[in-house]
Amino acid sequence: MPDLRELATAALEAAREGEAVEAYAQEGRKTEVSALRGEVEGITTAASRGVGVRVIEDERLGYAWVADPSPDEVRDAVRQARDNAALAEPDPANGLPQPESFEPIPELFREESAKVTADDKVRMALDLEAYTVSRDPRVTKIDIAQVGDSVSSVHIASTSGVDAGFSRTDAWGVVVTLATDGDETQTGFSYRITRGLDELDSHPLGDEAVDRGVRMLGAAKPPTAKVPVILDQFAAMSFLGVLSATVNAENVLKGRSLFADRVGEAIGSDLFTLVDDGRILDGPGASPFDDEGVPSGRTELFRAGMLQGFLHDTYTARRAGDGQRSTGNASRGYRSAPGVGTTNFYVEAGETSIEELLARAEGGVLIQDVSGVHSGANPISGEFSIGATGLRITGGALAEPLREMTIASTIPEMLLGITGVGDDLRFFSSVGTPSILIGEMTLAGV
Amino acid sequence: MLDRDLVAEVLRAARRRGGAFAEVYVEERSSTSIRLDDGKVEELTTGVDRGAGVRVAVGTTYGYAYSNRLDRDSLLQAAEAASAALAGDAPGSVVDLTTREGHGTNRAERQASDVPAATKVGWLREVDDAARGFSPEVSQVVGVYGDSLQRRLIAASDGRWVEEDRPRIRLVAQVVARRDGNIQTGHYGPAACAGVEFLDRFTPRAIAEKAADRAVTMLDSVPAPAGEMTAVLGPGAGGVLFHEAVGHPLEADAIDKDASVYVGMIGERCGSELIDGVDDATIPNGWGSYDFDDEGEASQRTVLFEKGVLQSFLYDRLRAEKDGVPSTGNGRRDGYSSPPIPRMTNTNILNGSSTPEDLIASTERGVYVVNLGGGQVNPASGDFVFGVSLGFLIEGGEVTKPVRGANLIGRAMDIMQGVDAVADDFDTWEGVCGKDGQSAPVGSGSPTLRISKITVGGTGA
Repeated sequence: MPDLRELATAALEAAREGEAVEAYAQEGRKTEVSALRGEVEGITTAASRGVGVRVIEDERLGYAWVADPSPDEVRDAVRQARDNAALAEPDPANGLPQPESFEPIPELFREESAKVTADDKVRMALDLEAYTVSRDPRVTKIDIAQVGDSVSSVHIASTSGVDAGFSRTDAWGVVVTLATDGDETQTGFSYRITRGLDELDSHPLGDEAVDRGVRMLGAAKPPTAKVPVILDQFAAMSFLGVLSATVNAENVLKGRSLFADRVGEAIGSDLFTLVDDGRILDGPGASPFDDEGVPSGRTELFRAGMLQGFLHDTYTARRAGDGQRSTGNASRGYRSAPGVGTTNFYVEAGETSIEELLARAEGGVLIQDVSGVHSGANPISGEFSIGATGLRITGGALAEPLREMTIASTIPEMLLGITGVGDDLRFFSSVGTPSILIGEMTLAGV
Repeated sequence: MLDRDLVAEVLRAARRRGGAFAEVYVEERSSTSIRLDDGKVEELTTGVDRGAGVRVAVGTTYGYAYSNRLDRDSLLQAAEAASAALAGDAPGSVVDLTTREGHGTNRAERQASDVPAATKVGWLREVDDAARGFSPEVSQVVGVYGDSLQRRLIAASDGRWVEEDRPRIRLVAQVVARRDGNIQTGHYGPAACAGVEFLDRFTPRAIAEKAADRAVTMLDSVPAPAGEMTAVLGPGAGGVLFHEAVGHPLEADAIDKDASVYVGMIGERCGSELIDGVDDATIPNGWGSYDFDDEGEASQRTVLFEKGVLQSFLYDRLRAEKDGVPSTGNGRRDGYSSPPIPRMTNTNILNGSSTPEDLIASTERGVYVVNLGGGQVNPASGDFVFGVSLGFLIEGGEVTKPVRGANLIGRAMDIMQGVDAVADDFDTWEGVCGKDGQSAPVGSGSPTLRISKITVGGTGA
C-alpha cells in the first residue's frame, strides 16, 4: 500500500508545464465505543484515506478528490481537476503558498494512546455509564455514554515546493444524562477531549452531566426582565461559532460580516480578548501547519475589545492585498476544498473567579444552554434571538431552574455589555471560553 | 458492485461469533459540486467516494467496521473487527443471497452525469443574473449546484440482497440585499432524488428570484415582537416544525432510551384532532425517498398521527427486533462510515379543510411564518426552538410588515395540542437533518396551519 507521501507526490508527476498542482492526502483510524444499560451498545472501528487535488492554471482553479486511490487514480484526479479548472473564472487571488519552515509539535502524537486496547475502551465506556447512573437517584438512564479515539495523518505536496506531513492522536468522552422526576425529563451534557484515552478521567464527566441534568428539574418559565446574565462555558461556546463566521476573512471580503471595515475600532468591552492559536496544546485544534502547509500561529482577533484583524488562508490574503499574509487558517478534509477555518479559537481567560461573577450577578440568571444559535443568529447583521435555559442567581449561589426563555440582542451589544470574564477557560473541541458576565440583558419569559 | 460469493464469504466471517445477523453495506458515490460566489465560479469539484461497512448485531448491541477498500482482505478484516464486539463462539449461518427488486421510486429521466459541467455552470450564471436583475438592492449572490449518484449494495445473513441507485440534485440561491446599512439575506434551495429534469420544474431563474424576493422583502422588516401569540405557519414551514419537534421524539432509538416525550403513548391523543401526519419514503423522487432503506428494508408510508392520535414510531432493524415489530423501513445512514439509525424520510402533515385565506383572515394578531431557518429540539423534554428566516406580522386578519430576528419556542406536546386550523395548500421543504453526527436528506411538508399560542422570541416591543 503506498504511503501518504507517495500518493501526494504522485499528483505532482501529473502536473503540466506552467500548472500549479497541490495534493492533500489524509488517512485515519478511529474507534468509538458506546454503552447503554450496562452493556456495550456499539463498537465502531474505521479506517479511511483519501486525496484531494487542486490545479491552478491561468488563474483558474479546479478540484477533484478520490477515496483510497492508487497513485494512478491520483494522477487521474489531477486530470479531472484540470478539466474542472477550465470552466472556472480566472481569479488573480488563486495561488498556492510557498513552502515555509515550521516548528514540529511532537506532543500532538501521544505514543501511550496506542497502548489503550479495544478491551480497555469497552471497559471505559461501561464504567462511564455505570458510574454516571450511580450518582443520583433521579439519573437512572443515559442517552449517550461514549469514549473514542483516533490516529490520523496528513501529507501535503505541491509544485511550489510544499512537502510536509504530520500525525496526531485524539481522544474524547461524552455523556448525556436523562434526569427524571415524575413526568419531567431534563438532559445534562458533558464532553472532554484529550490527546489519548489513557489521559481521560471519565468520572468528572459523569458528575458534570448528572449535575447539569438534575439541577434543571422543576424548571419554570420566568417573568420577562432585564437582568445580569452569566453565560457559562457551555453557553458562551455556542456564540463562538457565530463569532468565528464574523472574523473569517472570506466572509469579510465578500460583504458577509458585520465587522468588515471596522479593524481598529473598539467594538467590545475592554475585558474581551479573542484569539486563534494553532500552536497551543490546551485545545485539540493545534497543528504545526495548516491544510495548505502554511505554519500555524497566533492571531488576535480582538484585543481588549478592539478589532485587530481577521483569519486568512492563502486565497483571502492574496485577495485582501496590502501585504496581508495567510494567518495559517486554511482548513479542509480531502473531500472538500480549503476554506478559512479556526484552529484553537478562544476567549482569553480573565481574572475573576466564578464565585465573584455570581456575587456580581445578584438576581440575575446563569445561562447553561442556548439553542437555535445557528439559525437564530445572523452573522451579517449581528442580530440574534435564541432560546435559553439556566438558573436564577440568588445570594451569590445558583437557585431555581428556568426554561423557555429567549434572549434577543446583537453581537456588538453583547460584546460591549461584558462586565466580567472568568478565570475558568475551558476548551470544548477546538473552541474555548471562560464564563462571561454580561451586565444586563433582556430575558423574555412569560 | 461486488461478487455475491465474496459478500457471502464476508457475511460468514462476520458471523463467526454468532449474533442475530450480519450485514454488508457497500457504496460508491460520485458527486459534482459547483459554487458561484461574487459573480464568479469559484469551486468546481468532482469526487468519488467508496467504501464498505460490516455490521454484526445481537439485541441492540452492534459491532461496526468500515473501510474504503473493497478488496477481499480489507472486507474480511472489517468483518473480523465488527464481530469482535460479540462474546459468543458459535458461528451463525448465512442464507443464500436473493435479490429483492424495488419499484424505482427515484427514477432519473436525464442523468446528471450525462450533462456537461459547462451546462451546470450555465445554470449558476442564470441564478446570478436573475437574482441581480431582480432588484438593484441585491448586492451579493451565492449559487450552489450539487448532484450525486449513490450506488448501494446491501446484503445480510438472512438472505437479503438489495441494489439501488439514488440520484440527487439540488440548486441553491443565497441572496444578500442591502439598503444603506441594512443587510438582509434570502435563501431558497429545492432538491430531489431525480435527474436534471428536476430543473424544468424549478428553473434556475425561479429559484434565484424567490431567494432575491425574500432578501429584498426583509429590507422592510421591523424587529419581531416578543411574547406569546398566535402563529400561522405557511405551506411547508409547519412540516419543518413537525419534523423537529414531533418527528425526532418518534424515532425508535429515542423511544428505546426512554428519551422521548412519546414513550408509551401509542393510541393516545397527543395533539389536535386536526393533525394527520405521516412519514412517507415512497413519494416518487422525494428528497427523503427510496425503494429500500440502508438496511435493505422496503420503504413504506407510516401513519404517525390520525386525528391527533399517535399510531406508530419510526423503526430501524435493531429497535424493531427488540420491540418485536416489523421495521418501518427507517434505518438510514450517512454513508458507509456510519451504522444505521432510525431516521425520518419525508415527514408530512396532510391537508385539512380550511383555506389559507380564511385562516389568516380569522387571525386578529400574530406572526405569519413563511420560512423557518432551522431549529433544534430536545427529544427528552420536547423543548424546541426555531429561527424564522422569513416572517410577517398579522394585524387585523391581514399579513402586514415583514419581521426579523424572530424565533419560535415551545414544547412539542403543547404546539401539537395548539393547532386550531389546517388548510389545504400542502407544499414541501427539503433539508439536511443532523443527528448523532450523521446527516440525512429529509423532506418535510405541510399545508398552512395555525397554532393558537406559541412563544415568539424577538427584539421588538
